[in-house]
Amino acid sequence: MSGGHVVRLAGARVVYGHGATAFEALRGIDLTIRAGELTLLLGPSGSGKTTLLQVMGCLLRPTGGEVELFGQALAGRGPEALAQLRLRHVGFVFQHYNLFPTLRAWENVAIALDLKQVPRARQRAVAGDLLERLGLGDRQAHFPAELSGGQKQRVAIARALAGRPELLLADEPTAALDGRTGQEVAGVLHALAHQDGCAVVVVSHDPRMERFGDRILHLEDGHLKDDRRPPRPPDPPLSPP
Amino acid sequence: MDGIAGTSLLAWRNLAHDRARFAATIIGVVFAVMLMGVQLGLLVGFTRTTSGLVDHTDADLWITPAGTTNLDIAGRLELRRRHEALGVPGVARVDPLMMQFGFWTRPDGGSESVGIVGFDPATGQGAPWSLAEGAIADLQQDDAVVIDRLYAGKLGVRAIGDTVEINRRRARVVGFTQGIRTFTQSPYVFTHHRNALRLAGFPDTQTTYLLVRTTAGADAEVVRRALKQRLGAVDVWHARDLARQAQTYWMITTGAGSALLLAASLGLIVGIVIVGQTLYATTMDRLPEYATLRAIGAPNAYLNRVILKQAAISAVFGYTGGMAAVLAVVALSSRTNVAVAMPPWLALLLAILTILMCALGAVVSVRRLIRIDPTTVFQ
Repeated sequence: MSGGHVVRLAGARVVYGHGATAFEALRGIDLTIRAGELTLLLGPSGSGKTTLLQVMGCLLRPTGGEVELFGQALAGRGPEALAQLRLRHVGFVFQHYNLFPTLRAWENVAIALDLKQVPRARQRAVAGDLLERLGLGDRQAHFPAELSGGQKQRVAIARALAGRPELLLADEPTAALDGRTGQEVAGVLHALAHQDGCAVVVVSHDPRMERFGDRILHLEDGHLKDDRRPPRPPDPPLSPP
Repeated sequence: MDGIAGTSLLAWRNLAHDRARFAATIIGVVFAVMLMGVQLGLLVGFTRTTSGLVDHTDADLWITPAGTTNLDIAGRLELRRRHEALGVPGVARVDPLMMQFGFWTRPDGGSESVGIVGFDPATGQGAPWSLAEGAIADLQQDDAVVIDRLYAGKLGVRAIGDTVEINRRRARVVGFTQGIRTFTQSPYVFTHHRNALRLAGFPDTQTTYLLVRTTAGADAEVVRRALKQRLGAVDVWHARDLARQAQTYWMITTGAGSALLLAASLGLIVGIVIVGQTLYATTMDRLPEYATLRAIGAPNAYLNRVILKQAAISAVFGYTGGMAAVLAVVALSSRTNVAVAMPPWLALLLAILTILMCALGAVVSVRRLIRIDPTTVFQ
């Protein structure tokens, strides 16, 4: 299932530093990300993958070119306006989970609900449903330190989903996980794209992720070197709710 | 619990997670509140003592020698002025009050400076206001005096009936008051007006102050101006103005109040530095978490609320502990000749100062968070 354009980049450039020390991390990227697809962003270290993710996630304004999120240009928007766009449309999953260590699993998810101004009376139930869906129904009251790596990453995914994002950006989500857990997390992200219609973009060095990608982008030295859609069998039928 | 107030929960957990640092913050705020509370309490306590004689009479107007700057250092008035004053329309009553420094000779031969306060026991105007032992009527006796228990040791008095000398004239203690302090630390010695004249070596035609009660319905300001016009070379004060003049003289002109205010300001500064330093350290420790919040769309105001609520929590705990310590000092000071006062308005002022102190301490952290770079979450 694929849908409308979520992100559009036209000639996007990002330059870090000035003068002799300037480094061009992205060198004119043209790219469109669609809803309902899991896009895999591959490339060697320093190729610009994370920078591209930051630009798509409204964390970084490009030095040149155009970027649109849901048809809204990022150019000219201040930090608060970009934060507002992120809150409305984007969910993030980080390599090291970035959970709040002093909050329980459900509270980590509820923080995102609080930011979206979901009424307090509903937060516990919504957070509980998300954690249940990700197989953490019995871990809701645990602190991050009491969870395994895979469980932490699923809490982080639940937090990202709490805001009902249309674009989910994941940075090396399986890098810190063992093989089986990595596969589980990759499966969750795949299902989000195919079942929920979310545009999922994953930066990864993990070759195990490749079989989950609907589209594979290859970055090198800030250039988009390859953009392919690997042939794959049709999705298995959705399990009943 | 169905949900969370995210900023409140984060603020509390951030503080409670590092208990040693939280304890250090609270101790710092307690210390600052205590320092401010005790110094301001001393200021209020001392200020009250400077005008105690005025505050505890029901006179509407005071006639004083010209150029009077405070109650303790008085010139002389002719007693006949009393009759002139009684002739002014609107004057109902005029009572003399003596106040003169003297030397008290202790039974062991040592001497102390005292303030001799002479009043007329028949009218009670200027009488001691917290008599704990003895009776005002006992002061009708020629050599009778009343002193405060707080100064009994200093004056070498053990019990009623002890005899001493004031300005080399015999005096006998017939009663004790409780809690009448003086700013100058020269204890008040209350006695009959005629005995005060004798002890101070005044002729019986003189006094130091005349206390005026106006008739019901009279405009005190009109009466004051009329008295001034009739009596000429004297000062005529509304009681509240004379009280304020005495307070201003001792607390501001002499610099005593400035020293106390300076010490209180130091408390405020110490508190700001302690709260600022510990909040900043907590903020820096949790910078990745704030960057994560910013990355997932939290506006700056949300992050700032977390910091300000941490400051508010520190303020509440610190104020509670600090006030408990201040109230203990207030209770202890009630048995000494140094008064630490804590009226409700001062407790409220202290609460406001504590909040201000913690809010100012949070400023550095808030400024750091405004500059936070959300892309650091990917590092």
